[in-house]
Amino acid sequence: MKKLFFILLILNFAGCTSNEEVADRSQVNWQSIEKDLQSALILAEEGDTINIPGGYFKFEKSLLMDDKQNVVIAGAGMDETILSFKNQNEGAEGLKISQCKNITLVDFTVEDAAGDNIKVSDTDGITFRRLRAQWTGEVSETNGAYALYPVLCKNVLIEECIAIGSSDAGIYVGQSDSVIIRNNEAYRNVAGIESENSNFVEVYGNKAINNTGGILIFDLPGLTQYGEHIKVYDNLIQENNHRNFAPAGNIVGVVPPGTGLMILATRNVEVFNNQIIDNRTVGAAIVSYELVAAISEEEAVEADETQAGSAERINSDYELDENYNPHVGNIYFHDNNFQNSKWFATFQHDFGKLFNFKSPFNPPDIVFDGFMEAERSPAEILCIQEKQKLVFINLDAPNDLEDLNENIAPFVCD
Amino acid sequence: MLKSIYILILILFFASCQNPKPNDQQKVETDNPPVIKLGGSKQQSFGLEKLSDYALFQGELAKLNPANGVVPYDLNSPLFSDYAFKARFVKIPEGKTATYHSTEVLEFPVGTVLIKNFYYPTDFNRPKGTRTILETRLLIHEENGWKALPYVWNEEQTEAYLEITGDTKSISWRDTEGNQQQLMYNVPNVNQCRSCHLLGDKIKPIGPSARQLNKDYNYEAHKELNQLVHWQETGMLENLPSGELPKMVSFQNKNAPLAERARAYLEINCGHCHRPEGPAKNSALNLMVSEENPAAWGVEKTPIAAGKGSGGLKYDIVPGHPEQSILVFRMESTDPGIMMPELGRKMVDKEGLELVKEWIASMK
Repeated sequence: MKKLFFILLILNFAGCTSNEEVADRSQVNWQSIEKDLQSALILAEEGDTINIPGGYFKFEKSLLMDDKQNVVIAGAGMDETILSFKNQNEGAEGLKISQCKNITLVDFTVEDAAGDNIKVSDTDGITFRRLRAQWTGEVSETNGAYALYPVLCKNVLIEECIAIGSSDAGIYVGQSDSVIIRNNEAYRNVAGIESENSNFVEVYGNKAINNTGGILIFDLPGLTQYGEHIKVYDNLIQENNHRNFAPAGNIVGVVPPGTGLMILATRNVEVFNNQIIDNRTVGAAIVSYELVAAISEEEAVEADETQAGSAERINSDYELDENYNPHVGNIYFHDNNFQNSKWFATFQHDFGKLFNFKSPFNPPDIVFDGFMEAERSPAEILCIQEKQKLVFINLDAPNDLEDLNENIAPFVCD
Repeated sequence: MLKSIYILILILFFASCQNPKPNDQQKVETDNPPVIKLGGSKQQSFGLEKLSDYALFQGELAKLNPANGVVPYDLNSPLFSDYAFKARFVKIPEGKTATYHSTEVLEFPVGTVLIKNFYYPTDFNRPKGTRTILETRLLIHEENGWKALPYVWNEEQTEAYLEITGDTKSISWRDTEGNQQQLMYNVPNVNQCRSCHLLGDKIKPIGPSARQLNKDYNYEAHKELNQLVHWQETGMLENLPSGELPKMVSFQNKNAPLAERARAYLEINCGHCHRPEGPAKNSALNLMVSEENPAAWGVEKTPIAAGKGSGGLKYDIVPGHPEQSILVFRMESTDPGIMMPELGRKMVDKEGLELVKEWIASMK
């Protein structure tokens, strides 16, 4: 009896696709609705709902929708309506929407696109609801970059979606304003959820589990806009210990495996009431672009000793952008729960090795790189108001880690 | 107790699983696909059903003999489209004129039709011999802006029909070296047309700027004439300045400076998206000839959202090192998740690639 019970348990896990399981498509009957669906996207008129029925559908080309207003694209459910781009031979995206207004995407799955699964650009009013966007099979450098990818958008809502297997970010919002990312799940992406150069972003109620980095808040130089005013709260950020499988050259390649939350060169970020658990290298890392530039510089030198001058390249990259502020500021942490049962930070990354050396058997909850704007007090830059005792590391990166210390006091505020 | 857990697990097992139907092979069924529900509009609202309905050509359609008021033209540096040949025409409504602009595409009046026919000669060494026309793209300037329409030619080469969802056509030819080539040629759908022709939030023509048109054309009646001068003399163009006019080099002209040729090639193939007003502005890469900052056109510039398109390389252009340059990596690829341009080609433009490699290799 006990044995049967055990077997059933195994069956139960082996035979099913739970939210984070790798989908098995080997036994699927694929159908084609390519021409009909593309026509519907072209012909849609204001107020239309395009209903995609349940079924497994394969596409050879990107599906495009352009210049539409008030259109809903609705499937029969994320486990019922599956749009696969596995054998795509044209276009990089699965579904690409641009220059639209008030579009809602709901209740379907997009998977295995050559590039991004769903990309929405230059659109005011875009809702992603109950979508699954994933790469099936084992994760790989050849997976597409972003599962859900609004860029250059306004009024973005992403809710109750699942993103799996992106070689960059599962849910990625770039160069956008007024964004809500809530109650989503991200598994096995390099970055689970990422906000980049976006303003007025709220990230809450999400689960970011088993990514390389759980949630990333970045601001990069040289783009169409900068981003700040971000709130990250009520999220479960757990076991983000996946190896980093970003293709080299991409900024998320710098994220050490085992990073819960990372804030890069962004100001006005409030982080509260999150469960930040068992991210083996660091619970939350707060760093400036100068550190990233230094890391890239080091890598470039290691990669090619003969290539003199490469060190200045990424530096000049951001120094060319005179309006760019590479530092963090007004970062406010409060009421989070940090836990870490891991004994070692990652050994796949220099910072992991450093933490293992400096804080043995006790990887840090919060790491700050120590780059500070001159006129500001430490607590103005980073204010920590946590109830628990934290393992804190100030890298003192500006002085080549000379005074690396665990003194959290200057950053504790009332 | 144990039993109830056991039952619960059983239920969970069946409830949470979808049992996919077994199938021998991964084939895609095309019979009886489910119906997609959509609004009531029809393809006809986009444009006329047949190419001949526009009366742009006279006599046998496939000969592409322009009707009165339809004028052929050519560009200094044309876009690569899988080695397709292109026969271009413009129709400007009688009594109206296009307006000169020194850098951008000319301002064409409402009513203008730009016509581009894509064809493959059977033998590329006999470009005037037998040919197959695959598609004709019309850019029509209406009151509320330009629209782009693809017309697909029939097998008999007697007519072309509007296909808003585009098409895929098998085509073969003998290349200039005598090798037989074959291709599944893609006719773009109307949204793909838009995605290249968007500038800001409007559709715009890409090719016919004064810089591109500033070249001689062999008009049957007038022999060789500069296109801009001819357009002005026949009342198609106004405000043409006197003196030397700006000119884009032909990237194929091996006597022209290497950098100018490469920049011209990149502008016509990439600049319609990779410019500050274009759809790829989020990449911060500007490949228009007018861009003066080397970092903005790729020199030691890191990618923004390239994903695997970076090919593991760090910079768009590494001077002296085409093999380390993302630009070259993406031009060399035919993987839809990597290749650039994303649309309009399935083959590698070997000559264009060589040009860009040579240029990057020569940089210091």
